[in-house]
Amino acid sequence: MNNIIKKCKVIDKEYNYFTVICDDAKPGRGKLSGLAISVKDCICVKDVESTAGSKILKGYRPLFDATVIEKIRKEGGMIIGKTSQDAFGFGSFNTNVGLGFKVPKNPFDKERTTGGSSGGGAGLTQKADFPHVALTESTGGSIENPAAFCGVIGFCPTYGRVSRYGLISYADSLDKIGLMSKTVKDLRTVLEVISGYDDKDATSLKEKINFESKTKKFKIGLIKFDQGVDPEIKTAVEGAVKKLKNVEVAEVSLPITFKYGIPTYYIISTSEASSNLARLCGLRYGIEGNPKNKSFNEYFSEIRSQNFNEESKRRIILGTFARMAGYRDAYYIKATKVRTKIIDEYKNLFKTFDVIVSPTMPVVAPKFSEINKMSALQQYLMDVLTVGPNLAGIPHASIPVGNKEGLPIGLMACTDHLQEGKLLEFLQLVEDSS
Amino acid sequence: MKFTSEVVIGLEIHVQLDTKTKLFCSCRTQGEDNPNTRTCPICLGHPGTRPTLNKKALEFAARFCLAVGSKIAPELIFSRKSYFYPDMSKNFQITQFEEPLGVGGKVQLKEGKNINLIRVHMEEDPAAISYPGEMSKSSYSLIDYNRSGNPLIEIVTAPEMTSPEEARDFLNRLISILTYLKIFDVNRCIIKADANISIKERDYTRVEIKNITGFKELEKALNYEISRQKKEKVVQETRGWDGKITRSLRIKETEADYGYIIEPDLTIIKTKEFLNQKIPELAHQKAAKYIQAYSIDPVDAEVMAMELELAELFENVVQKVDPKLAAKWLRKELLRVLNYNKKSLKEVKLDEKYLVELLELVERGTINDLTAQKIMEELVKNQFSPKDYVQRNKLEQISDGLEEVCRKVISENKKAVDDYKLGSEKSLNFLVGQVMRQTKGRASPQAVSEIMKKLI
Repeated sequence: MNNIIKKCKVIDKEYNYFTVICDDAKPGRGKLSGLAISVKDCICVKDVESTAGSKILKGYRPLFDATVIEKIRKEGGMIIGKTSQDAFGFGSFNTNVGLGFKVPKNPFDKERTTGGSSGGGAGLTQKADFPHVALTESTGGSIENPAAFCGVIGFCPTYGRVSRYGLISYADSLDKIGLMSKTVKDLRTVLEVISGYDDKDATSLKEKINFESKTKKFKIGLIKFDQGVDPEIKTAVEGAVKKLKNVEVAEVSLPITFKYGIPTYYIISTSEASSNLARLCGLRYGIEGNPKNKSFNEYFSEIRSQNFNEESKRRIILGTFARMAGYRDAYYIKATKVRTKIIDEYKNLFKTFDVIVSPTMPVVAPKFSEINKMSALQQYLMDVLTVGPNLAGIPHASIPVGNKEGLPIGLMACTDHLQEGKLLEFLQLVEDSS
Repeated sequence: MKFTSEVVIGLEIHVQLDTKTKLFCSCRTQGEDNPNTRTCPICLGHPGTRPTLNKKALEFAARFCLAVGSKIAPELIFSRKSYFYPDMSKNFQITQFEEPLGVGGKVQLKEGKNINLIRVHMEEDPAAISYPGEMSKSSYSLIDYNRSGNPLIEIVTAPEMTSPEEARDFLNRLISILTYLKIFDVNRCIIKADANISIKERDYTRVEIKNITGFKELEKALNYEISRQKKEKVVQETRGWDGKITRSLRIKETEADYGYIIEPDLTIIKTKEFLNQKIPELAHQKAAKYIQAYSIDPVDAEVMAMELELAELFENVVQKVDPKLAAKWLRKELLRVLNYNKKSLKEVKLDEKYLVELLELVERGTINDLTAQKIMEELVKNQFSPKDYVQRNKLEQISDGLEEVCRKVISENKKAVDDYKLGSEKSLNFLVGQVMRQTKGRASPQAVSEIMKKLI
């Protein structure tokens, strides 16, 4: 067992960041040699249990590597293990873990959340004192949110930029594989390796990333939105923007996105998720029950009742309802149309601005005791700032810009589709000025 | 819709396209037949996998649409149809919903009646379930995913057929079109029909019969269902056909709710590049051509045109042999021999050169029909030169000395001769038969009959 794996075990014992640690991890050669890569549990690693943080997939050892894993191995990255998440990505605080899974703790305060759903990857990125990048995934904010709460950089590329082959789906039209790291440089290195067209993912993009956008003077659109946003966070984000040299700043608003973003996101994501989760029925892989004297319907109902957690059941019911005949047009179809409006709203701003900036989260990492008192709806509202760029499929990232009482604050920046290069340059600017 | 006919039938037909690989993965559609050997994580629906489209299947589906005049949508959009069933690896089927690949189109039946198509769409086949022993008694079922993900097109007709015979004719003609287009292999690909049937006497209450394989079965099932509906109270329901009777599967109160969503893992594909395919001359066009150019019997023309292999053979043979003679021998004798051997033309690998030789022997009167029939029977089993065979076995038709043989037979069969004189045609046939026997079948029966009549 190498030193890094030993360190991971120590961190995990205290913070619960892993679902699996790869004891036999070995460093390789290539562009990523010397870099440890942790993998969110929903990304398939051949022969390593990959459950998307759920009990129902316990025992599922994929027969294949996800395309991103193949690419990382080829460049010598060392896969160290699978990291904790809300089961299937259903959550904002990584508290909706699968039945029997442990909740990860915030690296700055163990009474608090790491954020979610990629909580394990974010916490580990903060705690790791060795070169490390976390391979994570965002559907509605699952990279940016925990990155902000744990004080690391979280980066989510354009939808389709990174192949999703081997990603256990939450909502296919929204899922994006992305990264977390402490430095912009490491993000760029790994992004270069994992991006690109893949003939196993029909939605993957053929265009190459232009890493040299050569933007001379960034035009920044600062989102005017303070409903429910902690004033200290607002001040910190505005302060960080003010510190930037040679930029132009103007206030912008996204009325459609902020009014309809959350319902649109939850309708589309649960509609797709409920269909994706249908295959989990105790046949072929994952948890198995005793089928004796049971019909197929009785068998799979029992498996699903016993092994999905409450939030998974809630989203299956919501999503199934939203696509039922009679409601489908009013919910699912309508939501897909609103998504187009949201994309247009962003596209329109990018005619003038290079980046759109806002706080990542409206609050700093809450305590578990506070989360317990929140309703499902209150929890969904935590995504108010992050669902927009996720619905639009545009590149976006969270970067730390100070703290409130020792808890990190994240600034979220978005660029137009395919402008990952520009986003990285902007993040570099922020990193250099802090 | 307002119906007037006694019987109203509409069909939904699932056709397996003859592609090498499955619709959304690269597993083979044929080869190893042991259960679950032609599978991969994609057609097994393992978490993390996703579908990518086999464009050959789209090319084939578009070709069908072009051939039947179905209007092709500019974009191919797939949807997920959700329902829980053990043969569905993902518990949803990737199919098409709002916008099918093709809308409209028609298939011409005999006597020129057209059956309109409502839609043509693409989808994946589920796995196959088998019940050890008997379905109702088996305590478990087995699933074979070799079929899972095979490419299908579903063809939905308007309810315009008015008899089981018409439904059978439709299916037969559909198979002919699919074969002509080389997108379907009748020996290997599955074709299944769901039939909607209602009768006037029961106010057209609609019953659906699921999963009927083969056009003969279709006709049988529909005939059974019509007589059942005439005898019993009819409710709107789905029934199954077991080869003898239809039984109720479920009463249909409302349409099943499949919770369709757009398949987010497949991008929208432009169909433009598949619109310029060359469509070959189809059976009904060929039949019309044969009747016109060769003045052959319309039924012979249709029967030969329906089967591509036979039509191609006919077109080659008529380059050298009289078309009417060729039509008679292909349509009647060749098909009779093939049916008897339960073989298709493709399977017997009949050498066209030898067939032409045989027909030329008949045309020139070198051999009689009886001899030719016997040679035809041998020719579908193995290949040889009929000309050499006739020479070697001395099978040429004889005319010299026939009268002498006839006289001999007359003197040996007094009773038959007397009976014939009293008007018994049968006795004449008997006497001719005796001559044929004595000449070892080499005489012309017509000629013998003439001589007999003259002599008696």
